[in-house]
Amino acid sequence: MSETTTEILLFQVGARVYAAGVRDVRRIGNPSDAKAEDRLVSGSVLGDPFSPDRGIVVACDDGNDRTLVVDHVIGVRFVPQGDVRPLPPLAAHCLVSAAVTGYALLDDLPTLLIDLPTLVREQRPGSAAGPERKERNDA
Amino acid sequence: MPDDNLSQKAKAGKARKGAAPRKNGALGGEVALITSALDEFAAGKYRGRIDVARIKDPGLKAIAAGINRSAAHAETLMGESASRIQAVSQGVDEAIEAMVRLVVQGDLSGTLRLGVSDAALTPLIAGVGQVMETLKRFVTEIREAALQLSTSAAEVLAAATQNESSTSQQASAIHETTATMEELKGASHQIAENAQMVASIAEQTLAATRQGEGSIKAFMDSMEKVRKNAVEVDDAISKLSRRVERIGTVVEVIDEIADRSDLLALNAALEGAKAGEAGRGFSIVAAEMRRLAENVMESTKEIKNLITEIREATHAAKEASDGNKHMAAEGEKLGGAAITSVNGILSGTQETSDAARVIHLATQQQRTATEQVVQSMSEIEEVTRQAQAGSRQATGAASELTNLAERLADLVKRFKVD
Repeated sequence: MSETTTEILLFQVGARVYAAGVRDVRRIGNPSDAKAEDRLVSGSVLGDPFSPDRGIVVACDDGNDRTLVVDHVIGVRFVPQGDVRPLPPLAAHCLVSAAVTGYALLDDLPTLLIDLPTLVREQRPGSAAGPERKERNDA
Repeated sequence: MPDDNLSQKAKAGKARKGAAPRKNGALGGEVALITSALDEFAAGKYRGRIDVARIKDPGLKAIAAGINRSAAHAETLMGESASRIQAVSQGVDEAIEAMVRLVVQGDLSGTLRLGVSDAALTPLIAGVGQVMETLKRFVTEIREAALQLSTSAAEVLAAATQNESSTSQQASAIHETTATMEELKGASHQIAENAQMVASIAEQTLAATRQGEGSIKAFMDSMEKVRKNAVEVDDAISKLSRRVERIGTVVEVIDEIADRSDLLALNAALEGAKAGEAGRGFSIVAAEMRRLAENVMESTKEIKNLITEIREATHAAKEASDGNKHMAAEGEKLGGAAITSVNGILSGTQETSDAARVIHLATQQQRTATEQVVQSMSEIEEVTRQAQAGSRQATGAASELTNLAERLADLVKRFKVD
């Protein structure tokens, strides 16, 4: 009998690799292909990408999609549920952002598990958000 | 005045003819007296006289008287003749004395004056005077000639001395000239050898320059080929560059497709994962597709890198080709300049070679001429030595001539003419 697994998407921002639930991801595309309604989030608490090569389109609660610009999308992994763990309370308490929900053990190494809707909602103040900033500029 | 001798002789003659008759005896005595007187006269004795008183015969008496007159006249004439002879002898003695005095004392200043005057001496006096005048003229002329001779001898001596000195200097100069000509002969020989060496080197230089000209022409041909090859390489590089650009475009398309394939595979894997267990196989296939796409992208990345390297290499090759073209053009230009220079060198070397040959020929002629001059100088030196000896002899002769002229002048001075 096979072990129950969780599907996560691994991506890279800067030098670090992060993990996110595949259900929070609507699709993956190129930042240059982003439509007007796909608001680009090029900066977040994860840092700025070195070379914005991919965009992760995230479905938000408000019904709009936002595109998190990352350096690289590594792929999809099926991780045993036991290897996906919440943050220790102290660590969660110390963190400012609520986007980090836990970590997943990948090859016995912890990888931060990111709640993408929360991340794009919390986008770092001053960070570039193409369409959103454009809207602000327009306002 | 009757001469006793004539009477005695007449008596002796009467005794010798004692046998004559008386009449004839007296006459005979008278004739004997006259004959005796005539004998005396014939013997050159004119002092005796016939005693006319003793002669009776008128005819004989007249004869005796005439004889006596003749004897007296003859005696007078004889006396006069003796006086004249004495005067003439005195004049001759005085003339001889004057001549001796002239010879001994050389005094020709005065005129001949004799203590006697006789017409017979006039020619002698005139002759002696003429002789003295002639001698005076001769002495005067000889004195002048001696003076001139002395002067000339002095001049000849001076000239001979000068000539001897000049001859000595000339001999010395000729000796030095001969030595110099000997050195010049050696130098001429050296110059001839050097000129021959220069001619030989000029010939070698000419040959080397011609060889260099051929090499430069070959170099220019090579430069032209290099330039043509550089142009061909440039064309090939341009074609290669265009092909590479075309490959780059194709690779960009492939890369774009691979990127799209990667995205598609990624989204397929995402959708498979969203489908849970049911989509796992799909996700695996999608992952495999994505791996292929990534391989393609890796390959295109490598191709891009290679294209970049090829571009850089092509650019470098293009620059090198341009450099080759430029250098080939510069090489052709320099080759042209070198050909011009080499032609100038050829011309100059040819002229140098010709000039060296001419110099060699001239120096050979010069050497021959110098040897002839040396030979001539040796002969001149010998002649000059002989001339020097002759000059010394001439100086000695001139000195002797001067002495003789002085002696002659001294001798002539002994004659007074003024």
